[in-house]
Amino acid sequence: MIEDALGRAVLNGDSKGAIAATEAALAAGVDAGELIRGSMIPAMDEVGRLFQCEEYFVPELLLASRAMKGALALLQPLLARSGAQPTGRVVIGTVKGDLHDIGKNLVASLLEGGGFEVHDLGADVAPEAFLAAAEQWQADIVALSALLTVTMPSMRNTIEAFRRAGARDKVKIIVGGAPVTRQYADEIGADGYSQDASAAVELARALVGRN
Amino acid sequence: MRKSFYLDLATSGLRMPVGTDLVLHEHPDADLVMEDGRRLGLVMETTARRYGTPLALSLMDLRLEKRDLLRLLGNVDADVDTFHFQEAPSEDQVAQVRALSAAPFAKRNQAHLDAVRYVAKETDLTAVGMAIGPFSLMTKLMADPITAIAMAGAGLEPDDDPGILMAHRCLALAEAAIARSLAAQIEAGAHAIMLCEPAANRVYLSPKQIEAGSDIFERFVLEPNLRLRRQLADAQVDLIFHDCGELTDSMVKEFATRLSPSVLSLGSSRQLWKDAQLVPKDIVLFGNLPTKSFYSDAVMPEEKVESLTRELIARMQETGHPHILGSECDVLHVPEAAGRISRKVDVMLSCAKRAPAPAT
Repeated sequence: MIEDALGRAVLNGDSKGAIAATEAALAAGVDAGELIRGSMIPAMDEVGRLFQCEEYFVPELLLASRAMKGALALLQPLLARSGAQPTGRVVIGTVKGDLHDIGKNLVASLLEGGGFEVHDLGADVAPEAFLAAAEQWQADIVALSALLTVTMPSMRNTIEAFRRAGARDKVKIIVGGAPVTRQYADEIGADGYSQDASAAVELARALVGRN
Repeated sequence: MRKSFYLDLATSGLRMPVGTDLVLHEHPDADLVMEDGRRLGLVMETTARRYGTPLALSLMDLRLEKRDLLRLLGNVDADVDTFHFQEAPSEDQVAQVRALSAAPFAKRNQAHLDAVRYVAKETDLTAVGMAIGPFSLMTKLMADPITAIAMAGAGLEPDDDPGILMAHRCLALAEAAIARSLAAQIEAGAHAIMLCEPAANRVYLSPKQIEAGSDIFERFVLEPNLRLRRQLADAQVDLIFHDCGELTDSMVKEFATRLSPSVLSLGSSRQLWKDAQLVPKDIVLFGNLPTKSFYSDAVMPEEKVESLTRELIARMQETGHPHILGSECDVLHVPEAAGRISRKVDVMLSCAKRAPAPAT
């Protein structure tokens, strides 16, 4: 049960309420990290649970993410100053040749709400760009999205690029998207497959050892 | 509209894929074919004759109306795939597009029209034009349409949020561009139009909000489509309404009962035999084998295609609802899986052939 004002605002997709609740909590001396750990993450976890049992749908996820981002915009500068560490670092993008980004955006939002530091490369991302970003941000996880069967081979190409560069063992690579299957993920050597956005957060936590 | 024509096709046991893209890519210069109306028309004709159907479907190129719209707005260098409005289009821009309804088309769009014309004038086939639907085109004009629609669904108004204003204006632009496209295809001789709304689904439109009484489905999907339907009806052109997205029962029922298409084409997430209970019996259900998976033998082996086909046929026969067995959407050419896909389409079309039901 989400009972605090910030958590309820996030759960209800209320951006203005989330910002107001965050400002009030900070003014009352609540620690930024505690707001994330104690309010935001549980609220986003609840959003994910409601999505999995089909009480919430993609629009509700996006409204909740929007509210969460409004609060995070106030909290992140404070976290940076305090040296607090994220749950993990993720580089995410839609693979080369594919312009679809709804699923990828959802995963990125939920990962952010789950305490991950997320670097979103957008859509149509070349393997080299994933490689460079993973190195730049010291990513724990690289998340690849594809919505078209014709672009799924780009997932394989991206994993191969990491292998050729000797960087394969430095990251966990997870894949997802409508045409992607667990079978395909195994076939191309991915570390994980997620069939929806909230499962991606659980998977990411498991892969960084924070579940 | 000639519903009896499609009902008779269903009674005859017709099966067909939306297969124009497959045949198009048998040409090594497919890109050039797409800009040559006569050659593209021949592709439509070849597809229809290969699959034994009187319906010659245009290529399902759902970028055409966006490409035309951007050109009408003077954005000739814009990338069709990635262009999104950064702020709400102005009322002047909407008026501009409406005023240019008779402007010439660019080469690719003109080829689409000429292909329809070729089929209508030089073959005995039924020329079926193609267009994206207004809601789906709106979503392609915005970077984040879902949040905008969700905020509208939460009760906010255009004055409350720029995203909602953008959605309304983009929808107006979309409808104007599609109305122009439909008029041109009608003039070219299209007897039917397949109006494609893949985005009008529960990803973009919250079932929770709709159930709670929000009018977003009515306002953003049904109203503009009803106007386009009237445009077709006034020209005595048949409506084939296509939505392969994940739908609620209520959405399927609304499409059927409010738009009253001659044919309702649905994706593989639906169980057509259950939808038969929601759809009036004068509307043919089309589909809905999971052809998006045909590229993979691991996911969709031929045996599974056959078993799914047999199941669908048997279950639809039990309902007594008119049905044309077909693909869940455009069967796209996948270079490394072309033969595999073709074989499965053939399995879908040939297995468990039954004798046509006697005419009523």
